[in-house]
Amino acid sequence: MSNVLQLLLAGLATGAIYALVAAGFALLWQTSRAINFAQGEFVMLPAFFVLAGTEWLGLPFWVAALLGLLLALLLLGLLFKRVIIDPLLPQGVLPVVIATIAVGILLKESVKEFYSAEAQPFPALTPGGNIDVLGAVLSLQDVAVLAVAGLAILAMQLFLGRTRLGRMMQATAQNPEVAEILGIPTRRMVLYTFLLNAALVTLASILISPVYLAKFDNGETLGLVAFIAAIVGGFNQVRGAIAGGFLVGVVDNFGAAYVSSDYRTGILLLLLIAVILLRPEGLWGRAEERTV
Amino acid sequence: MAETLLRIEDLAAGYGRVTILRGATLAVAAGAVTTVIGPNGAGKSTLMRAIFGLLPPRAGRIFLAGEEITGLGPRELLRRGVVYVPQGRNLFPELTVRHNLELGAAAFRIPDLDARVEAMLDRFPLLAERAGMQASVLSGGEQKLLELARALLLDPALLLIDEPSLGLSPRTTAEIFGILGGLRDRGVAILMIEQNARSALGMSDFGVVLDQGRVALEAPAADILADPRIGRLFLGGGIG
Repeated sequence: MSNVLQLLLAGLATGAIYALVAAGFALLWQTSRAINFAQGEFVMLPAFFVLAGTEWLGLPFWVAALLGLLLALLLLGLLFKRVIIDPLLPQGVLPVVIATIAVGILLKESVKEFYSAEAQPFPALTPGGNIDVLGAVLSLQDVAVLAVAGLAILAMQLFLGRTRLGRMMQATAQNPEVAEILGIPTRRMVLYTFLLNAALVTLASILISPVYLAKFDNGETLGLVAFIAAIVGGFNQVRGAIAGGFLVGVVDNFGAAYVSSDYRTGILLLLLIAVILLRPEGLWGRAEERTV
Repeated sequence: MAETLLRIEDLAAGYGRVTILRGATLAVAAGAVTTVIGPNGAGKSTLMRAIFGLLPPRAGRIFLAGEEITGLGPRELLRRGVVYVPQGRNLFPELTVRHNLELGAAAFRIPDLDARVEAMLDRFPLLAERAGMQASVLSGGEQKLLELARALLLDPALLLIDEPSLGLSPRTTAEIFGILGGLRDRGVAILMIEQNARSALGMSDFGVVLDQGRVALEAPAADILADPRIGRLFLGGGIG
């Protein structure tokens, strides 16, 4: 029983990271119909901003983390939207997909070339050690990840649901033409979602890098799994994508423990196929209408 | 004719290479209902979208209370008291009824927004009962009612409304027309597009017949209703 609880809690901790990244996928898709296939690399990069701050500039960790966030907002939010998405999106989704795959490769190779190909140790958020939860042993790092990511998700949900700005962003996502008719500055709302995505991936980066170390290819699996999580949960629902993230984290952990760690990605792909076949809009997604 | 609030001169607009509206000229009187009728493809919705700045005019000019508004976008027009209710479903399905209503004033910071929302809910008790529900659970008629209430949150001087009866039962349509009539009585000018020509003209002050992108007839609604050429127009013939 304690083993199951341990797998569940550790799975939720990993799932919280996936949830942050999957929520970013859903946000971008909802507001701009853009799919960012560089999302995994977007998670990989901010850790190197932080490392550059601490190691090259000698900044304290939290100052470097703030600097990393600012750089991410600028490069992965503003610049990404203006330089890649805005010019390409009117040409259709496919050019965006190809361009974001290219961006992912560029980011990965740039980090390998200009920083290091080796995995870099990253400062932990908590001191080492474990705690006992009803017989399940959980690392303090996992607890911190779960708490910080959970709070971030809660804060984001409150922002989107309880503030005027958040509701205007939701309105832009749900019906951009009507949002424009009501005078909502839709272009600015879309920019805010790109900035929010940049903040989410930065947080995910800072949470995950102490465990997996900062490495140029960290984004490959992470991006794929978060993409699966967003589809499983519901690509057109931020809440669905978040739930998908947690679900995928738990399934991944149980699959690795009870089936085989060699086939963990395969198990997630099976889950993806099952969801696409049985409920294509995702477990918590909304069926979309199209008029022809 | 009463004082003109909106004047449209030789307006042309379209999509891509196709010009749909080809030099439409018409006027909307202050405090009156003007209904635009015409066969499918006549350019009725294009007219609305061009007035509201969603489609750039290719030629022509638009004046509101004597001031030129050609090419202004929705925010500027909302600021000048013009609101637009397009045809079809125009709500944010996952937001509550109250939040949908509030977004009627999204373009501005209105200090008494809460009071306005409450007043609107008082005016439409059906919406008040459902204020906390997601808009997606509303019936078609309730959705149109919410769209109207949302449009009225800014106390507009001119309401542009496209096919309000689309997909609604005759009873609900009559209710919506009743509300529009009430707005006219309160001094709101209404420019309406309606396929349901007979009912719409029956509650309108003026009518405009649009045919092939041009105004074929502009007259008091009663005169248009009595014109035998109108039936022919809807059956595929021209008006001339």
